[in-house]
Amino acid sequence: MVKLLKNLLKSPMFVIGVSIFLITLAIAFLGPVFYDVDTNARDIVAGPYAPSSAEHILGTDHLGRDYMSLLISGLRSSLYVGFVAGIIATTLGVFIGLFGGFRGGWVDEVLNMGTNLFIVIPSFVILVLISSAVKDGRSLTLIGLIIGLTTWSWSARAVRAQASSLRSRDHIALARINGASSFTIVIKHVLPYLLSYVFMVFIMQISSGILSEASISMIGLGPLDSTSLGIILNQAKDNGALSDGIWIAFLPATLIITLTVFALYLVNTSMEGVFNPRLRK
Amino acid sequence: MSENIFEVENLSLHYLGRFGDKTHAVTDVSFNMKQGEILGIAGESGCGKSTLVSGLMGMCIPPLYPTSGDVRVRGESLMNRTVEDIRSNVLAQKVSMIPQGAFNALNPVRKIKDIAADVIAAHQKPGSSMKASEIYERLRSRFDLFGMDTDRVLNSFPIQLTAGERQRSVIGISTLLNPQMVIADEPTSALDVSTQKEVIKMIFDLLDKGIFSTMIFITHELPLLYHVADNIAIMYAGEIVEKGTAEQVVKDPRHPYTKALMGAMLSSEKSQRTRKPVAIEGAPPSLAKKIVGCRFAERCSFARPECKKNTQNIRMVGDREVRCEYAQ
Repeated sequence: MVKLLKNLLKSPMFVIGVSIFLITLAIAFLGPVFYDVDTNARDIVAGPYAPSSAEHILGTDHLGRDYMSLLISGLRSSLYVGFVAGIIATTLGVFIGLFGGFRGGWVDEVLNMGTNLFIVIPSFVILVLISSAVKDGRSLTLIGLIIGLTTWSWSARAVRAQASSLRSRDHIALARINGASSFTIVIKHVLPYLLSYVFMVFIMQISSGILSEASISMIGLGPLDSTSLGIILNQAKDNGALSDGIWIAFLPATLIITLTVFALYLVNTSMEGVFNPRLRK
Repeated sequence: MSENIFEVENLSLHYLGRFGDKTHAVTDVSFNMKQGEILGIAGESGCGKSTLVSGLMGMCIPPLYPTSGDVRVRGESLMNRTVEDIRSNVLAQKVSMIPQGAFNALNPVRKIKDIAADVIAAHQKPGSSMKASEIYERLRSRFDLFGMDTDRVLNSFPIQLTAGERQRSVIGISTLLNPQMVIADEPTSALDVSTQKEVIKMIFDLLDKGIFSTMIFITHELPLLYHVADNIAIMYAGEIVEKGTAEQVVKDPRHPYTKALMGAMLSSEKSQRTRKPVAIEGAPPSLAKKIVGCRFAERCSFARPECKKNTQNIRMVGDREVRCEYAQ
C-alpha cells in the first residue's frame, strides 16, 4: 500500500489532482471555521450585488446574500451529492457487474440486458423526469440517490467485463477445486483484483454526480432544502447575471465545478497510469 | 485382492450448447482403481481429458452435464450431487486435483500462505476454528516435506518464486487435506526437464509418505507416463481406446491409435534415433455430431470398410482392454 502510494506520488498529475481536490474539500468543510457561512442561505447581509469588501470577500448575490458564504455552502452540498451518487452507483454497479459476470449463464444475461437498457435510455432524461415528479421534499440526499440509481450502468458493465474474464482464470479454478465457496472466491480472489478498478470507477462516479447535480439544478430541478453550486448558477441565470455581465454571480461557481471535476479526472488518469501495467512508465 | 477405491462406470459427459445442441466430450469411460494405483491417461489435445477430470471430481458445472454413468469414491457416488455438496464434502478431502500451469493457478495478489490457509478454512467443521498461528504451523509442517525454504515460500507472492517452487506449492496446496485420490492434470507441462524431475520426485515423495496413495496422472507425454504410471489408458475422441499396464501400452500397443501415437513420438534412445516420427494424418471427428462406427476409422491405416459402420466396444485382448474388434 505504501509502495503504491509512493508510486502514485511520483506522478505530477496525481499530486496536482489530489491537491486541488483536497483544497476543495478543505474549503467546503473547514471554510465555516474561518468564515461565517450561512448554511440555510437565507441571511440578507447587504444590498443586491454589493461589491467585495472586507466583510464580504466576493460581495453579495441578487438578494444581498454573502456570495462567498453561498459558494462554501454550495460546494459542500455538491460534494455531498457527488459522494452519495458515487457510493450508490459504484455499489450497485459493482454488485450487479460482479454477480452477473462471475455467475454467468441466464442470470448474467438478464442482468446484462437490464444494464444495457439503462445504458441506452439517457440517464439525464430519467433524472429530469424523476426530479420533476418529486415536487416536495426534493432533498440533497434524494437528488444524490436519483443520480446514483440512474448512472450505475456504466460501472456495472465495466465490472462485469472484468469479473467475466476472471471467472475462467486458473487460480479461480484452483480455489474452486480446493473447495472454496463462490462467496469466498468473489471476496478473496475476484474483488482484490478489481479494487483499483472499482476505486477509479468510484472517482468517476463522484465527478459524474457533481456534474449531474449541477445540470439538474441549473434547469431548476435541484434540491429544495439547500444551496448547491448548480442552484447558484440557476439563480444567476434566472436573474440575468449572464446578460447583465455580472460575472461574479456565475464565474466562481463554474470555476469551482470545473476545477473539482478536473481534479478528479487527473486523479483517475494518474491512477490508471500506475495500476495499468501497459500504461506504466 | 484389495477393494477398488475409485470406480468409474460408463461415464458419459456432454456440453449443452446455446440452442440445445450437445457435444459429447466423454463417452462410455469405465475403469476401476485400487489403493496405491497410479493410472496414466494420455491422448492428444481436445480428446476430452480435462472434461473427464471435471466428471471424475463430480464437478459438472453448466454447460457441462453428466449424460450417464457413475463415479464412486470408496463406494460413495459423486453423480447427481449439488456443486455445494461436492465442494464441502468431496473436493480437497476425497478427490483433489493438481492443475497444470502453476503460475496461472496461483492468485498473483495473494501470498502462498493465504491461498493455502483458505483450503483449511473452507473445510473446517462448523464451530471449530483454528487460529492463524495454528494454521501457519500446519502449513509449515506440510511444506517442510517439500525441501523448500518453507518460511520464505509461504510468505511470498507467486511472482517471487521460481517455476519449480510454484508448482511444488500448488501440489502442496492441493494435497493439504490428505485426499484419498489425486488427479494430476499435466502437472509437468511447461516446466523444464530438471524441474519436471523435481516435481515428479516430489509427487512420489508424497506417495511414499502416505499423504495420498492413489493417483490419476494425465499428460500427453507417453514416455513420462511409462515411468510414472502402473497402468495407462489412451483416450481418443472422448473414448478410452486402450488400457493396460504401462509396459503393455508403451512397449507393445495394440490399438491402431496407440500404435500411431507411439509412432509419432520422438525418442532419445540410440536404437530409435534413425526412426523418423510419423504424424497421424487427418483430424479427430467432431464430437458435436453423431458418430457412426469407429471414431478412429478415418485416420486408421488398418481400417476396413466395416469399421466405419460398426461401433467399437471395449474387449479384452489378453489381459488388456482395447476398443477395436480387429486388434490382436
